Amino acid sequence: MQNDVQQRVKKVIARVLEISEDQIADDANFIFDLGADSMQSMELVAAFEEEFDIEMDEEKALDVQTVSHAVEFISSYLK
Amino acid sequence: MTHRNLKNDELAILKENGCLAENWDHVLVSEGFQPDRVRNVYFSGRNTLGVFDSTIDLEEGESVRCGIYNSTLHGTVIEDNAFIASVQFLSRYKVEEGAVIRNVGTIAVSGETAFGNGTEISVLNEAGGREVMMYDRLTAQVAAIMATTRHDDQVIKNLQEMIRKYAEGKRADRGVIGRRAEVRDSGVLRNIHVGPYARVSNARHLEEVSLVSSRQAPVKVGAGVIARNVIIQSGSSVDTGALLKNCFVGQGVQIGKQFSAEECAFFANSEGFHGEAVSLFAGPYTVSHHKSSLLIAGMCSFINVGSGTNQSNHMYKLGPLHQGILERGVKTGSFSYMGWPSHIGAYTAVIGKHPNSFDASDFPFSYINEMGGRSVVTPAMNLFTVGTRRDSEKWAARDRRTGDVKHDLIHFGLFNPYIINRVLSAMALMERLREGVSKEQVIVHHKGIHIKRLLLKTCARYYEMAVKIYMGQELIRRLEAASLPAKAKKLIPVLQYDPGKKHDEWLDVSGLLVPAKVYRKLLGNIASGVYWKPQDLEKALGDIHKDYDEYAWAHCAALIEERYGVPVDEWDAELIGKVLADGRDQNIKFNNMIYHDAKKEFDPTAQIGYGVFGEPEEDFRAVRGGLDENKFVAGLMKENEEIAAKVEKLLGAIS
Repeated sequence: MQNDVQQRVKKVIARVLEISEDQIADDANFIFDLGADSMQSMELVAAFEEEFDIEMDEEKALDVQTVSHAVEFISSYLK
Repeated sequence: MTHRNLKNDELAILKENGCLAENWDHVLVSEGFQPDRVRNVYFSGRNTLGVFDSTIDLEEGESVRCGIYNSTLHGTVIEDNAFIASVQFLSRYKVEEGAVIRNVGTIAVSGETAFGNGTEISVLNEAGGREVMMYDRLTAQVAAIMATTRHDDQVIKNLQEMIRKYAEGKRADRGVIGRRAEVRDSGVLRNIHVGPYARVSNARHLEEVSLVSSRQAPVKVGAGVIARNVIIQSGSSVDTGALLKNCFVGQGVQIGKQFSAEECAFFANSEGFHGEAVSLFAGPYTVSHHKSSLLIAGMCSFINVGSGTNQSNHMYKLGPLHQGILERGVKTGSFSYMGWPSHIGAYTAVIGKHPNSFDASDFPFSYINEMGGRSVVTPAMNLFTVGTRRDSEKWAARDRRTGDVKHDLIHFGLFNPYIINRVLSAMALMERLREGVSKEQVIVHHKGIHIKRLLLKTCARYYEMAVKIYMGQELIRRLEAASLPAKAKKLIPVLQYDPGKKHDEWLDVSGLLVPAKVYRKLLGNIASGVYWKPQDLEKALGDIHKDYDEYAWAHCAALIEERYGVPVDEWDAELIGKVLADGRDQNIKFNNMIYHDAKKEFDPTAQIGYGVFGEPEEDFRAVRGGLDENKFVAGLMKENEEIAAKVEKLLGAIS
């Protein structure tokens, strides 16, 4: 399941940040490595919620800094 | 006070002191007059002199003997113990007790004047149509009524008549330099009224100007100022090369550093430095500090203007059609540009260049960015920023109005019935927009703005937090006024509201939050001629301001009823506890999200080192300190503890 989540997370990131999936490393930091600004961060939260049909905790979502952390965080909602 | 002609010995001394008069019979003096305190003075017309038997301490710390020295006086009344020195021409003025005038070119009244009262200023549209008639008691709310009620001829006609009558009462052929005022080192001052304790120093040219000063809140006019048709209210300062024409300057306002303004009204605690304003309705706390910023034909309040901010109208064909509305709490980013007419929602940040007109008023607390020439709104994004929080805290703390009377009526609270109504309607609108589009659609359009469809659902949740915090905070406020501990049943009378005070529609009238129905009634009263003088209207507005807490509670209690599905008469400890707990949880979460925003400033990427040898983070820490030591951050965390403790205490006190 983790692999599937990771693939879908990367797909969402690629779409929102308009970058290629190949550019997204597992441990990439959303801000420093992928260049997400605060508005894109909000859009990522919204996109993840729609993709996985979940509602993330607004405060905890702000702690998510990297792709791998996002995968882990989203997975916790899917259990 | 009675005055008499000069005695022969007094006249002899005056002549010996180099004084001349067109007619010595027209120089009258008070009993106790000391002629040795009048030297090298030329009198023309009828002049009346008081007693000069004291000294005055000048700003420089020197003490000088009161009297009149090296000056020309025409048609003046000089009260006791004034100090007048090196005034080339002082004409038609009453100089009150203890006033100082020194080293001034001309201070004169020519003909009759109302000292700026009754002047119409073309706010919002520089070609006219929304004129505000100014007078020395003008308030932000009265001005707002004049500028925005143009559809009702009778309201405007009655207001204009009322103010015209008031302004006529100010008309005189003689001016006043008020008690203990000081006018020094200045050029030409024509038709100016200088209130008590005012300070005019090094001004260049003032004409048709009123300085409404008081001991508690003196007015200061400083170096190089040129002003024509201007009223400056108490506690304000216009300084350092400011250029003002047809402007009203309210209480506690600061203008300077070569700021220029025409046809503008600045209300309480506004600040204008370096930049420019034209036809601006600057509601309370309009702040523009940067050299290249222009504010034109807009209506705003609680605004923070970034450098290079500009607005204009590309559709200019038959004349200027500006008129932009920036609701309370807007922040414009550096070099932001807005094509007028546009409407920006409350507490919204505008970033980038927006050439097309748009209406984003349905989305408070938003970010408006420019992307590929389009205005893109991120709803609720500005709820959780340090800037919004800091601004909302600092405004009330920075009220510079020190006088007894505060003319502008201002409500400061971040979450209030007006804002929450905006938030609720934004949520409903986002739901409707969401229902109307497919998942494939990336962008939705609304009144000239673009919103990423994805955000419609998520951002509505952020708005929901604001609603819960509002309900919790208002309930806490209400309960804190009750006698506790108590059974919930006993609290019902405290929690009940007057249904007559419950209103669904609210307005923000330049700082005053008011139910629309109450405001309409006020306008109706104006149209019916209920108010004869400005003071009557001020009192009516003041009463509305005083009633705010009851109106706000009725709004909030009705919202709790609707949201929790229980009428107020049936609220029990469990329901009260739930509202309080929801409010507390969301408030703490909200503060923590702001904390996250603050954390960005302490991020390693922000730690650029300026020290020669130190590591960037050492240098940063030495200058900025650590995140958790930061005063703002510490305040947030402290507030979290306080909210938790307060709610805990209330929960324990209600059974």
